[in-house]
Amino acid sequence: MGSTVKNISYYLPEEVVDNRSLEQEFTEWSAEKVEKKVGIRERHVVGEGETALDLALKSAELILRDYDKSRIDFILLCTQSPEYYLPSGACILQNRLGLSTGIGALDFNLGCSGYIYGLALSKSLISSGIASRILLVNAETYTSHIHPKDRGNRTIFGDGAAATIIEASDEEDIGEFVLGTDGSGYKNLIVPNGGMRSKYDPEAKEADDGSGSIRTANNLYMNGPEIFNFTIRTVPGLVLDILEKNQLSLDEIDRVICHQANKYMLNYLRKKMKIPEEKFYINLLKTGNTVSATIPIAIRDCLDVGIVKPGDKVLLAGFGVGYSWGGTVLRIE
Amino acid sequence: MKKSEFIEELADTLEIEDAETLQEETDLTELEEYDSMARVALIALVDEHFGKELTPQNFKAITTVGSLINIIGEEQFD
Repeated sequence: MGSTVKNISYYLPEEVVDNRSLEQEFTEWSAEKVEKKVGIRERHVVGEGETALDLALKSAELILRDYDKSRIDFILLCTQSPEYYLPSGACILQNRLGLSTGIGALDFNLGCSGYIYGLALSKSLISSGIASRILLVNAETYTSHIHPKDRGNRTIFGDGAAATIIEASDEEDIGEFVLGTDGSGYKNLIVPNGGMRSKYDPEAKEADDGSGSIRTANNLYMNGPEIFNFTIRTVPGLVLDILEKNQLSLDEIDRVICHQANKYMLNYLRKKMKIPEEKFYINLLKTGNTVSATIPIAIRDCLDVGIVKPGDKVLLAGFGVGYSWGGTVLRIE
Repeated sequence: MKKSEFIEELADTLEIEDAETLQEETDLTELEEYDSMARVALIALVDEHFGKELTPQNFKAITTVGSLINIIGEEQFD
C-alpha cells in the first residue's frame, strides 16, 4: 500500500509584526539590514489568549472544507507549544473538529524536523494498515516562549499552523526517509524552565546575552552560532543520504525545500551543497521561521504560484531543535 | 590566502564600513558589529575558506583578529 499527500492548507494568526515596528522597539536595529540578511520582513504572531491549538484548529478547518471529514481515521499533532501537559492536543482536536471517535490521535514533540517525522509516521501508519486517511497538523507559536526584549529571536520566529492530509494510494508518492538525532546539542535550542526538570520561575532574572537580546530561563534560548555549526555539519550529508536512499541524482529533483530557518543560513547551505539557485526554494519574507510548519507552508506556496507542479519530485529536509533532522522525496500528486 | 586578503574579507563579512580600520591588533569583541549574526557570518567565512568549525571554545578565545588567525592556524595562510 502506497501513500500520497492529498492536500495542504495553512493558517497564520492575524496579528502581524513587521520590521518597522521592531525598529521602533529596538534602537540601533536596522529593518533594512535585517531583511537583507535573514530574508524576513514580517511575521504573524498569536494575539493574547490565542494558542497553537487554536491555529491548528483553523488550519484543519480550512483543509476539511473540501474533504469528507468522517473519513479521517488518524490525527497527528506536532507542536512544542502544547495547550496542556495533558491531555494531548490531538484528542481535543478530534472533538473540536467533530471527527469520528473511532480514530487514533496523538501529539509528538518536535520542531524543525517535525514535518518530515509527520510524513514518516503517516506513511508507516498507512503501510501497516493501521490508518488510511491521516490529518497531520504542525502548529507552532514559538513567539509565546520568546521574551519581549529578545530582539534576535523576535526577528527570526513567527507563528503558524499547517494541516496536511495523507491518504493511502495505489502508488507510493512519499519516498524513503533519512532520519537523524543528536541529543548532545539539546541545550542550544531550548526553553529551560517550565517542565519537570526546572519549573517555571516567576522570579527568573532577565539577562542580556551581549548581542542586545534580553531573556530569562523561562524563555526560548537559541545559540545561533552553534545551531549554524550543526547545520553545516549535518545538512549537506543529509541531502546526499536522501538522494542515495531514493536512488536519485540532484538532476532528477525538481525542487529542494529545506526547513525555512533563515535566508542567510539557507543560502550558505545551498552554496556549500552546490544546488542551483533556481532549484532551491527560499521564502520567509512574510512568515519568518514557523518551525515545523515552514515546510508545508513552503509546499503550499510553491503549488499556488506554480513553482511546483503535479508529477514533480521535491526533496524535503528538516533540521534543528533536538538536535533532530530528517528528509525524504515527495512526488506531488 | 594571504592574511591581508583574509582581513579584508573579514571586514566585509562583519560589515565594517571603514575596512582599513580592521587590523591584526583590532579587538573584535569591542566592535559594535560583532553580534551573534556576525558570529554566524564568521563561521561561514572560516568554513568556506578553511573547512574549519569555530566551536564555542574557539569563540571564547577569540579577541583580536590575530587571535582568530591563530585559531585558524598560521600555516593556513601564505
